[in-house]
Amino acid sequence: MLNIIRYPLDGELQLIEDDWQLIAKDSTHLPLNGRCLVPFSYWAENINHHDLQKKALSGELGVWFSSDDDLPLHKETILFGLKVWTVVAVDFPIFRDGRGFSMAAILRDRYGWNGQLRAIGDVLIDQLLQMSKVGFDEFVLRQDQSVAVALDQFQIYSHRLQNDWRSNRAQLGGVKS
Amino acid sequence: MYLYNPIDQRIVDDRVKQFKGQVERRLLGSLPEEEFKPLRLQNGLYLQRHAYMLRIAIPYGLFNSQQMNMFAHIADKYDRGYGHFTTRQNIQFNWLKLEESPEILADLASVQMHAIQTSGNCVRNITSDPFAGVAADEIVDPRPVCELLRQWSTLHPEFAFLPRKFKIAVSASKEDRAIVAAHDLGVFLRHNSQGKLVADILVGGGMGRTPIIGTVIQKDLPWQELPNYISAVLRVYNLHGRRDNIYKARIKILFKALGAEEFTRQVNEEYQYWQGGDQTFTQSEWDRVAQYFSKPKYKQLPSISKNELVQLANEEDKKSFTRWLERNTKEHQISGYSSVLLSLKPHGTVAPGDIDSSQMRKIADLANQFSFGLIRSTHEQNLVLADVEQSRLLELWQEAKSLGLALPNIGLLTDIIACPGGDFCSLANAKSIPIANDIQKRFDDLDYLFDIGDITLNISGCINSCGHHHVGNIGILGVDKDGQEWYQVTLGGEQGLNAAIGKVIGPSFYASDMPDVISDLIDVYIQLREPDESFIDAYRRSGVEPFKTRVYANIAKKEEASSVEVNAHA
Repeated sequence: MLNIIRYPLDGELQLIEDDWQLIAKDSTHLPLNGRCLVPFSYWAENINHHDLQKKALSGELGVWFSSDDDLPLHKETILFGLKVWTVVAVDFPIFRDGRGFSMAAILRDRYGWNGQLRAIGDVLIDQLLQMSKVGFDEFVLRQDQSVAVALDQFQIYSHRLQNDWRSNRAQLGGVKS
Repeated sequence: MYLYNPIDQRIVDDRVKQFKGQVERRLLGSLPEEEFKPLRLQNGLYLQRHAYMLRIAIPYGLFNSQQMNMFAHIADKYDRGYGHFTTRQNIQFNWLKLEESPEILADLASVQMHAIQTSGNCVRNITSDPFAGVAADEIVDPRPVCELLRQWSTLHPEFAFLPRKFKIAVSASKEDRAIVAAHDLGVFLRHNSQGKLVADILVGGGMGRTPIIGTVIQKDLPWQELPNYISAVLRVYNLHGRRDNIYKARIKILFKALGAEEFTRQVNEEYQYWQGGDQTFTQSEWDRVAQYFSKPKYKQLPSISKNELVQLANEEDKKSFTRWLERNTKEHQISGYSSVLLSLKPHGTVAPGDIDSSQMRKIADLANQFSFGLIRSTHEQNLVLADVEQSRLLELWQEAKSLGLALPNIGLLTDIIACPGGDFCSLANAKSIPIANDIQKRFDDLDYLFDIGDITLNISGCINSCGHHHVGNIGILGVDKDGQEWYQVTLGGEQGLNAAIGKVIGPSFYASDMPDVISDLIDVYIQLREPDESFIDAYRRSGVEPFKTRVYANIAKKEEASSVEVNAHA
């Protein structure tokens, strides 16, 4: 089913299929086959595990951060991980928990992550625009959200008043430096 | 005043469209109230006791006559013919329908106004000195910085869902008229020894349940760096502020928990990644914005003293006009000009800060006739015409008097600052407006008010402190005890550079006792004051005891009398 919104930095808004299996926070089992999105805590604890490394090297491993993961505290682990992870995700435990916005910005601007950055969890229509500006380019909508309405959100505004991941402030011409 | 360019205009137009869609989904039921609530709050729309309330942003308290006329239009078309100026320089309307809110926002957008971020857990409307650009004690005009910060904070994607609201105030004069130290983040602007514009930054001030005076965490910050430094503060707060308890979620709680040193260390560590980056304000941005705040075309006029002005008035008007000149006019930077305060605090008839649509229209006319078409709102809930020729003050006084806006009570006991309280607000524990009105009626004698002199009295209907009671010389807080409305009294609060938090004097009082309590406090002051000593100075010298003793002794006497009466009837 095409139910993931992809909005790349320099490309068309599109719907894609989800081929990533989300591994829950308390899970101890890693499926051998298929692409897996594991909690960052799982990665940090099992970083030397053969199966995990193999998955990572074959492009079948992604990592998701929960909103209370302290990024600066794990900076070295993350910087190494970003070299081998295929996708990175940030979880929104509830839509109004704004930590994920700052985490995305840090992953993009400070840690230099250029791959897919996926918003997961309580992802609602009315936060998509902000998410797309701080650095997310894939959105796993909560199941009850209308995909059609969601797709309309990204073009609501013609201008922005501050620099973000996609563009610079319109009052200075809007060109990304 | 700053005027929108096509970019600003398009943004508020797009915001209206976005909100219209959200309201439509809410009305259709596909957007549940719990998920709609933060969205409507970020657009200033509250659900109150009786109806929806819309709070409209007045950036740093500056607006024009056309916008004032739009407020009158909104009051008449969508509300009940009046509006309420708030303690954060905004205006709110209390009787609106959700269905009509997109239309109201479209009307506002047509005069370059909006309600963006006047509520919600985001960076709120930025407040400043209502006398910015005209005050005689001004160091630098803060408005270009205020406007740049307004633009930077508007619809900021990273900081739309903070742990709690975030209020910024900016001041740049010798006196602080913006209660800078009682804000989540305060900015004092000044010139450094090289003549460069720099900012000192305070963090962690605030009122509410835990009133705290802010702490300076950064000095001499070049103005260009403001978005970088504030972003660093906000990012630390966004990531580490508490989200488990709404009463412990403001930045002041994080600041206290980490301690000034550790908090500042974390901010500075974050700041090094922002410093000099592409968010930095540029000179071209400054130039574009600052042109709107250049001085209006002042005439070359001789300065006229108050004594000379009074001679122009009729014999029977001389006393009233003298009082008005004394209390309701302020010194101006330019010779021959004064700033005028229109009092929105008539005695006992309306809520502090309320005006009706006909007054709004007439004030708009007065602004056009007397003050370059501009108006300012103050956090004390009055209005300012900032650029009035002194030779025309008598004429303006007469006009203001006919509108009921010339009561010379600015800065006096009846210039009460109050939130809307339990009559409107669904958060309030107790009513504020009737308390304010009863006190105004009790002290409806101008001779006595002038004798009492400078004093501030603030009333909040609940601990959210919208009436800023913590910084009132006399503060009144509505509390709920067993379903009854009670009032707690604090003394010794002060705004300005000596900002202080008032202290509770003791157990709380019934609403009906409040005028007596205030009378007792004033009586004690009159008895113990030294020549020319203000209420706050007398309080500081003598301490709380004499005030406290008198108030509770009289309350005890009253209770005794009423129990005797009850027994006599038994």
